[in-house]
Amino acid sequence: MPETKLYRSPTFCSAVSTPTSPLSIASAPAGTLWWRWGAVSLLVYRAPLLAACGLLAALLMSSLASLTLGSAGLDLLDALKAIFGIGEFMHVFVVQELRLPRLLAGMGTGAAFALAGCLMQTLAGNRLATPGIIGIDNGATAFAVASVVGLGASIAPPAMALSGAVVAMALAFGLSGGIGTRGYRFLVAGIGVGALFGAGTQLMLARVSIDVANNAYPWTVGSLNARDANSVIWLGIAMLIGLPLALWLGRGLNTLRFTDRVATGLGLPVARMRLMILWLSVVLTAAAVAVAGPVGMVALVGPEIARYLSRHKGVPLLASALAGALVMVLADLAGRTLLSPLEVPVGIVMAVVGSPYLLWILLRSPR
Amino acid sequence: MSVDAKQYSPAQQDCASHLSLAPTLKTDALTLGYGVRKQRVKVIDGLTLGLPDGKVTAIVGPNGCGKSTLLAGLARLQLPESGSVLLEGKDIQHLKRRDVAQRIALLPQETHSPEGVTVHELVRFGRQPHQGALSQWSQQDQSVVTAAMVAADIESLSERELSSMSGGQRQRAWIAMALAQQTPLLLLDEPTSALDLGHQIEVFELIQRLAHVEDKTIVMVVHDLASACRYADHLVAMHAGRVIAEGPPAEVVTPALVRQLYGVECRLIPDPDTGTPLLIGVRRTHERLSGSAT
Repeated sequence: MPETKLYRSPTFCSAVSTPTSPLSIASAPAGTLWWRWGAVSLLVYRAPLLAACGLLAALLMSSLASLTLGSAGLDLLDALKAIFGIGEFMHVFVVQELRLPRLLAGMGTGAAFALAGCLMQTLAGNRLATPGIIGIDNGATAFAVASVVGLGASIAPPAMALSGAVVAMALAFGLSGGIGTRGYRFLVAGIGVGALFGAGTQLMLARVSIDVANNAYPWTVGSLNARDANSVIWLGIAMLIGLPLALWLGRGLNTLRFTDRVATGLGLPVARMRLMILWLSVVLTAAAVAVAGPVGMVALVGPEIARYLSRHKGVPLLASALAGALVMVLADLAGRTLLSPLEVPVGIVMAVVGSPYLLWILLRSPR
Repeated sequence: MSVDAKQYSPAQQDCASHLSLAPTLKTDALTLGYGVRKQRVKVIDGLTLGLPDGKVTAIVGPNGCGKSTLLAGLARLQLPESGSVLLEGKDIQHLKRRDVAQRIALLPQETHSPEGVTVHELVRFGRQPHQGALSQWSQQDQSVVTAAMVAADIESLSERELSSMSGGQRQRAWIAMALAQQTPLLLLDEPTSALDLGHQIEVFELIQRLAHVEDKTIVMVVHDLASACRYADHLVAMHAGRVIAEGPPAEVVTPALVRQLYGVECRLIPDPDTGTPLLIGVRRTHERLSGSAT
């Protein structure tokens, strides 16, 4: 194999063979960071990494705000102490039993929605193709609502949401003609499937008594109020597996942004990659819906913020997850405090704040 | 007729024989098609073809004759209906994707690129078959990427985004990416389609150099028969999914072949500089003229 032939050949590149050339000293390409430990070398884009750091800092600050602000105002020190069970009983109760679990649920759902959105967008090669748009949220919701109204109490929402999400995905992909399908065909099929499931949910709610319908209400708008502990644990597990897996797939995802021909030509197992990404995206969405209901807007807004801050370098998976978590925590905080004592579900806040913001971002960068 | 020219010159056989007698890349009764079962269209029908090592092979033919499909099949982008593509004697479908990507680079015709990608980033993607999850960048990668950009004359624009460049510049960036893959085989789908005359010549001369100096095997789909005659060592003329002539351009290209391929009349004279056939006086055939008049 002419492994090193290309740059040894004098006709191919004289620049490299001259020892005085600065090119003979290895350096990181522009806009990247390069680490080496022996045989291991990593090359990452700088902008997404900086974006992730900034978003992490913002997430920490908004988390502290979320712990301190509310109907029972705490100062920062009290809130921090209360996390570890130190301080007044009331403070510890408010933080440990109410705010901290809610905060974690918000971060987890936001990150899962946004990561799933980023994965699906890359898979479909279309920034509108988020699980929410192609009906996976609605599928998960319909199944969860069916379990609430059909059985009086929600039995294992994660399992119900997952089966709903899988059914919706199977329908969308089946109707659009398989996993290899790109672009609008699959979007349109997904929107149709989503509308179908949405209508199904409404129909179920219209046919049951008002009390049961009330029980199911948080499922339909998206709220962090109705979360159950079990679902949060499942979401945590999904994120602990899903985020590293997504980051591991990151290089392949980056290549998948090209056409299939190019990606295949570079040796990427395109079909297998797509299948893995699709499943990952569906499972993450289902786990998030099981906790917070359909807050699909996060999946659009989170990756959009991440891409903007990352200057469109690579596929910003980590930054997307952090941006999603940040947006979710802030939206829930706003919903809890702005119209206090009335609480606005996070799904409604996301729709009210998220839509104009999304429009602004989409319109200001016409690339 | 011209089919008789299907014998490799002695020089070619010598070149191939230091590894094995058979060419590195060949097809065996290859049939390619697209569409679902009932409306299945066979684009390539039972094609057996060897691509001479270390030579520039040009595939020519009218629109829709299956040139690009053949190239996709050779690059393992399309599953054969029957028959096979053999790389080093092994069915390409049974080889690992990565192994194929280390041996065959493809320059596709359509050059869509993700937003925000710069030339340097694009060329870096060409290194991917040689990299791993934990070996993402090396001194050699850098040298090869730079050399590829120099060879394709795009180095001065390395930090520019592709979306902000002209078609010709973009084309050269993609050529650099294919070069960075460092493969012994290069498949190029109309490598000069978006280029002006100066850059066309530059790319063709680069292609010749890669084959003759670096011993790479080049297969290119070319629209322009004149360029194919001028720069290819080996010509494959395709019509309706079949090879109708194959061999060195000077032996293969005849007025009869040109008529059969494109439905035009012409005269051929040897190029005073290179001796390769030149097409002059190209006009539509009489049959066509009378056919359209009645």
